[in-house]
Amino acid sequence: MSNIAAVRQLVETGKTKLIAAATAEALKEGAAATEILEAMIDAMGVVGEKFSTGAIFVPEMLIAAKAMSKGVEVLKPHLAGKSATSLGTCVIGTVKGDLHDIGKNLVAMMLESAGFTVVDLGVDVPAEKFIAAIGDDVKLVACSGLLTTTMPAMRDTVAAIKSSAASHIKVLVGGAPVTSEFAREIGADGSAPDAGSAVVRAKELLKAA
Amino acid sequence: MLTIRDNLLETIRGGKPDRFVNQYEYLDIILEAPLKTSPKRGETITNEWGITFSWPQDQIGHFPVHDEEHRLLKDITKWREIVKAPSVQYPDERWAAAVNHAAAVDRRDKYVTVFFAPGIFEMCHHLMGMEDAMMSFYEEPECLHELIDYLVDYEIRYAKEIIPRLKPNALFHHDDWGGQIASFFSPEMFAEFFVAPYKKLYGFWKDNGIELIVHHSDSYAANLVPHMIDIGIDIWQGVMTTNNTPELIKQYGDRIAFMGDIDSGAVDTMDWKAEVIAEHVEKACTRCGSRAFIPCLTQGLGISSFPGVYDETSRAIERMSGRMFPRP
Repeated sequence: MSNIAAVRQLVETGKTKLIAAATAEALKEGAAATEILEAMIDAMGVVGEKFSTGAIFVPEMLIAAKAMSKGVEVLKPHLAGKSATSLGTCVIGTVKGDLHDIGKNLVAMMLESAGFTVVDLGVDVPAEKFIAAIGDDVKLVACSGLLTTTMPAMRDTVAAIKSSAASHIKVLVGGAPVTSEFAREIGADGSAPDAGSAVVRAKELLKAA
Repeated sequence: MLTIRDNLLETIRGGKPDRFVNQYEYLDIILEAPLKTSPKRGETITNEWGITFSWPQDQIGHFPVHDEEHRLLKDITKWREIVKAPSVQYPDERWAAAVNHAAAVDRRDKYVTVFFAPGIFEMCHHLMGMEDAMMSFYEEPECLHELIDYLVDYEIRYAKEIIPRLKPNALFHHDDWGGQIASFFSPEMFAEFFVAPYKKLYGFWKDNGIELIVHHSDSYAANLVPHMIDIGIDIWQGVMTTNNTPELIKQYGDRIAFMGDIDSGAVDTMDWKAEVIAEHVEKACTRCGSRAFIPCLTQGLGISSFPGVYDETSRAIERMSGRMFPRP
């Protein structure tokens, strides 16, 4: 197995204690940092897909993301100035009135693993705060909500973004009560049922922009 | 007309109930028993374990606070130094209300029920946060096993205190094992970490007078049902519609009963409507039938988040009993 393939495998299987040494080894053997990073991102794509199909569960996804993050720490000094893999910035948060953060954290983690720069606004985020966080580099806003009671807040947030100066920014929504019909109805550009699909949908939205 | 208790037994044992078991009617839950401190609406408290909980005014429940300042267990390898179970010894006066309540229950009709929450997994993520709890399955499995054993030991010590005082016949035990569309962990991981501890726990309760184990997990957990049966759960309360309850009844109804199929999230809203509740109740009752099924909100106690919803749901179930169990 090549060194890069080994790194990819270690991310996919979430070997948090082995990944740093394997990444360093791959660099030592001459692999380019960007090439290793691409392999890690690919591995997380596989992880996301497996999660979406129910082949793996939350712990496997978390541990894979942690492994990637440890590998990226080793790559960082070698990546300075190389932004070829950056997909842009995504602002994410759980909408006002909702304190659930697990789903939102999973999506944030997967977006980051896919190459987005993520600005996490936390939970109970009012629409104005989402809008205020949209800077020039932001390509996507992701709104999460778990409670049926906070679906009106999600509607208000999407409406506020779409009627602001940032109306061109793509908005992705998600959370257990969110259906694709609801997403369309409230004017969101897309929705995703889980963290793996969120990454796929986010990339699609940016491609279509 | 069967008593509430007999009607329940006919329902869960594949007999001939004469009406639907109506939500929590068969459980008389002794909530006065001392166990833990929880915040009231608008409060933030630190409980006996050292875990901080907050219930903001505008929320429907309380949450453990897991920011850097408040998360109790930041490194699971240090759990022995950090996690200190509270005493299970309470003075008689703290037990008095619970003892009086239990004594007043007509046990021919209802089960005197111990309430225990949080369960093992919930306690793990209350202590260290969901992400760390889940990653410790992989990163520090031995420490997690040890911590789980410690939590089991605490619950057994508590059981030893409450059983002689209340002589309960049922246990209502919380532990959420999933979200709305998937279990948190695979059945294999559940087997590795939770089956033996829960067998020990539920075995202890059953060896000491508990006839009925009712386990609450308002989630998807259909993939865990074989394990639920294995660890001794008699009734899974909180089964959400995403589980395909009729299929579960068909497959496992001879070994476990299902209580729920009326998703609280869909009907228990600020602007709730009787006709929406009636529609959900009718769907649940007609698709699930009465064998091994108890129509119930998925909420983890006989209450609702918004006033009136629980009682309206009970009335709708009663009407469905009238329609589906015609009297001669």
